[in-house]
Amino acid sequence: MARAERFVEADNAEAIITRIEHKSRKIESLLKQYKPVEALKTALEGTYAMTGDERCKSAHWIAVHRALMAIKDVDGMLSSLDPEYYDILMKYLYRGLATGDRPTCDQCLRIHEKLTEKAGLGCILRFLTDTVNTV
Amino acid sequence: MAVTAVHQLAQCITCHAWSADRSMVALCPNNSEVHIYRLVEDKWEKMHVLQKHDQLISGIDWSARSNKIVTASHDRNSYVWNLERSEWVPTLVILRLNRAALCVQWSPKENKFAVGSGAKTVCICYYEQENNWWVSKLIRKRHDSSVTCVSWHPDNILVASTSTDGKCRIFSTFIKGVDAKDPKNESRFGELIVQLDLSPSWTFGVKWSPSGNTLAYVGHNSVIYFVDDVGPSPLAQNVVFRDLPLRDVLFVSEKMVIGVGYDCIPMVFAADERGIWSFIRYLGERKAVSSGSRYGSQFSEAFGKFYGQAKQGGSNDASETSRTRGVVHENCINSIIPLSRQGTQIRRFSTTGLDGKLVMWDLETEQDLLELLVH
Repeated sequence: MARAERFVEADNAEAIITRIEHKSRKIESLLKQYKPVEALKTALEGTYAMTGDERCKSAHWIAVHRALMAIKDVDGMLSSLDPEYYDILMKYLYRGLATGDRPTCDQCLRIHEKLTEKAGLGCILRFLTDTVNTV
Repeated sequence: MAVTAVHQLAQCITCHAWSADRSMVALCPNNSEVHIYRLVEDKWEKMHVLQKHDQLISGIDWSARSNKIVTASHDRNSYVWNLERSEWVPTLVILRLNRAALCVQWSPKENKFAVGSGAKTVCICYYEQENNWWVSKLIRKRHDSSVTCVSWHPDNILVASTSTDGKCRIFSTFIKGVDAKDPKNESRFGELIVQLDLSPSWTFGVKWSPSGNTLAYVGHNSVIYFVDDVGPSPLAQNVVFRDLPLRDVLFVSEKMVIGVGYDCIPMVFAADERGIWSFIRYLGERKAVSSGSRYGSQFSEAFGKFYGQAKQGGSNDASETSRTRGVVHENCINSIIPLSRQGTQIRRFSTTGLDGKLVMWDLETEQDLLELLVH
């Protein structure tokens, strides 16, 4: 099922990138209004499709990264985030940790601690074992 | 507390099985022997030691009516043990495997048993009267990787198997001459009935519900999968849970499942009236303590280093809380076996783990769970 989606989406990679750009603009406007939590939610939504294309994944990551770095109140953000987004957020946190960039890693580590408390070790395991839907 | 007894029988137990009257338990203490213990006035006495395998015994099953023990081992062999006078006599079953046998289970009628192996195959063995030996038939359709667990459907024909390739496959094991021909069910031996591709990671611990209508198995990604109406159009549900993965499950009733695994405490899952499965609670004290000490001293130290903090409020406190928490098993629980049946419900069961403990549990003391069981 996910594989069929990927084949269809690959043809529409351009359409997805346009959608991501549109989302980035929305995220920018939300950040200007000092609403980092809504910005992060907008960024995480729609990553369900998780297309196989590397460009789409990078574009998605840039949008999520922008929203992540703007978060100041981690506890507040996690309490207002739907539990279904925990697994995806964890995947993006590990992508952030993999960059090696100091401010990104600091922020990701801070959020990782709180997210593990909230979502448990199972969340980390689901990131580790899911080799099909990577971000 | 749901725990009725805790016995330290070895340093590490790989698998166990009970005799029909539950007076004797056969277990493998992480070596190539099977030790049979009998409970004599509160103390466990080692009655027999079965030595025949060369390598680790990965599965033991004790049939209730025919009183035979079947063992499967990493040495690619399986033995069926018969009690003659007071000695257990082994009969070799040539499985024709070139990899380790990982799990074994008697069929409900006890005329066949299934063995899952690292050779990506499931062997179905049955007794041939004329030659007085056990014949093994390999299911040709293979998994893509090791078969970790097998489970028989109550109809004695279907067998479900989980594998490290993430899939659960259900095969028919109809054998002419052994199984009665069923006009409703015209399936050939080794026919793949259903393939469930629900998990991206290794799968373990598959079990059928008492009626055979529902199937449950666990994935290594901390998810438990429930499949209702197993057939051409199954209804699958994933239940995601917070903690470490499970290794084995047990249906205590049609609507309640107990899962055991790396978290050392059994978890209870139940289906509500709509048939939606969800996690109910742990079977044991798991008090919500503050962040650092929750996972015990080792974890909190590791997390402490990860988050750049020296010690989270003193790791000594953490190890004490885990002891006073009433945690029974100290290491991964790897099998759960029913002890007593009341109709189709199981009230008492036992678990063994890598810590070498055999723990007996009783649901009679858990009022809220009993209510769920009854409905």
